[in-house]
Amino acid sequence: MERKKLIIGHLFPEFLNMYGDKGNILALQNRLLWRDIDAAVKTFGIDDEINFSALDIIVLGGGSDREQKLVCERLQRDRVALSEYVESGGVLLALCGAYPMLGKHFPLKNETLDGLSVLEIDTEPDAARHIGDVVIQSDLMGETGYIVGFENHSGKTRIGDYKPLGTVCRGFGNNGEDQSCGVIYKNLVGTYLHGPLLPKNPKLADYLLSKALLRKYGEEIALLPLCDQAENEAHDYIVERFLK
Amino acid sequence: MRIRLILAIWACKLAIFASRLLGKNGSSMPGQVALKICPRIMTLLAGQVKQDIIVVCGTNGKTTTNTLLSAMLESSGHRVVCNQLGANMIWGVCCAFCEKTDLWGRLHADFACLEVDEASTVKVFAHIKPDYMVITNLFQDQLDRYGEVDLTVDFLRRALALSPETKLVLNGDDPVVSQLGEETGRVAYYVCVDEKVREESSGGSEGRFCSFCGSPLSYAYHHYSQLGNFTCPNCDFRRHEPDFRVHGVGLENGLSFKLTHGDKTAAFDVDYRGFYNVYNIALSYSGAVLVLDKAPDHQAVLSEYQPQTGRMESFTINGKTVILNLAKNPAGFNQALSTVMADTRKKNVLIGVNDNPSDGQDISWIWSVDFERLSDESVKNLVVTGYRADDLMLRMKHVGFSESQQVKTRDLKEAVCGLLAGEGEVSYALVNYTVVFTMQEILKEMEGGAGYGA
Repeated sequence: MERKKLIIGHLFPEFLNMYGDKGNILALQNRLLWRDIDAAVKTFGIDDEINFSALDIIVLGGGSDREQKLVCERLQRDRVALSEYVESGGVLLALCGAYPMLGKHFPLKNETLDGLSVLEIDTEPDAARHIGDVVIQSDLMGETGYIVGFENHSGKTRIGDYKPLGTVCRGFGNNGEDQSCGVIYKNLVGTYLHGPLLPKNPKLADYLLSKALLRKYGEEIALLPLCDQAENEAHDYIVERFLK
Repeated sequence: MRIRLILAIWACKLAIFASRLLGKNGSSMPGQVALKICPRIMTLLAGQVKQDIIVVCGTNGKTTTNTLLSAMLESSGHRVVCNQLGANMIWGVCCAFCEKTDLWGRLHADFACLEVDEASTVKVFAHIKPDYMVITNLFQDQLDRYGEVDLTVDFLRRALALSPETKLVLNGDDPVVSQLGEETGRVAYYVCVDEKVREESSGGSEGRFCSFCGSPLSYAYHHYSQLGNFTCPNCDFRRHEPDFRVHGVGLENGLSFKLTHGDKTAAFDVDYRGFYNVYNIALSYSGAVLVLDKAPDHQAVLSEYQPQTGRMESFTINGKTVILNLAKNPAGFNQALSTVMADTRKKNVLIGVNDNPSDGQDISWIWSVDFERLSDESVKNLVVTGYRADDLMLRMKHVGFSESQQVKTRDLKEAVCGLLAGEGEVSYALVNYTVVFTMQEILKEMEGGAGYGA
């Protein structure tokens, strides 16, 4: 049988690796390799052309305002291709500033940019900055479970009729009003939870991997169970500490 | 005014005395009391400094740099106000002035050397207009407190705007620091390591782009993080011509280097570890040369200087050596890892990370540290500890250490015992801010023979 393989596109890590975003790439890559599925990581620089149809998973992380502005301006050029990728079921993980960037407006500290309009979500700047550990409840992974992470943003995002990634148990989330955190649309997951989100949330990582395998190979491909002791202990520590 | 000032000083001194009776080393409460009674106290006392006031800022190395600078000035026969305990918020600075003031409100000092937290510079500069500001480096640090490096630069910019006469002494190899010299048009002195020292992997992404036009910087050579001989290919921004030029750097058996300023060259040879200390020493020496207008006796100062808590501090327990090092952010950790891996002996390594407010509650940065360098045959045992031991174990799993190859405990004593039980010839403990003090106490106690049965 032919070995399965996924291609992970890491967009602009030279700009968007402020909060240890490398952790997400490691989690995706290793969780494939540990199951004898090949993983290739393609790293894109700001001047590189991106062939979206050759990618199975795209990861967009967080950077400083200055860096996010450069990335947003760069991606305007590929707005249509990125939209088509998402509409056709491409897996996209957008964290931190990359999340509001996908909507209509993308507020930075001193200005508001036009967003990429991949999603009909909208963000307004907030005077306060929301910083801290976050626990949300999500039914994304088949059963209801917790997703843990850390947020640091000053935007308020409203997601309209989209489904949120989860409901906030601790933290601020999308806007501090409707308890929603993040967004899911087709195989796009966006959230303010930043940096190394996937290592500690192995079910979310596997969710993204199985969606990408399904899209690429046209059939459900069961992911072998892994020993997730370290993953689960790091995850449960946050849940225990902040919820109980 | 004079009455208020004297009252404030008495209250501050009393508060210092009281908190020491209680066994505390606090400087913030006494400083707060003094500022409350006499809001202008810092301006009044700073005005009595006979010669210069120097402020030291920067992500890493400010305590070392400031302490060395102060010691060089003292060894030249001067009286110096210095906030030596690393108490670097406004209250700590205020407290340092009060301590050197007599009961009648008279300050007897020729210089003031003040380490100031970057986020506190605006508050401090509202009271004090320093003659010089030394900036060691600006790395990504404790993101949840400062937001990001750009925000830190903003603090310094706003602080400098309050004090138009302040001259700058800058790490010229750091583009983020250098931009402040370029854009403010101040009198600035650039201190640079003017040669390629070694191959070094990078860590931390901030500042590798031109602060003025956003293009990626290119490097003739590169030291660590964003430090090096940089040029912007797109605009005029480039490493400034050094005013203080470090060359002839040797990193074996301590540190040695030469520093040239004008037609004078000084030689340095010290028993310190870590390349980053070249910058700390060079910046403090340059600062001293500028304010004294002559070369200080640096060698005596440097050989006497005791590293602070956990700056590669060495302990001997039952004949085994444990080296404790504070590292607070990716740049600090990567530098510490360089030092650890330069030691070719078999070793046990402990990594400890807490997430108290003074550590930074966001520990995402552990994924930016090049822990991959630990996957080497010479690393025999790995211990992870601190409140975020679980996160560290997971990080190390992605380096290639399985769960069973690591000792994980949130208890620091247990962690030290686990470290000593390893089969390495030497043990290194790399830990962040609030771990370091507790761990130092544990190590001292064990060194003294109280023992934990290890």
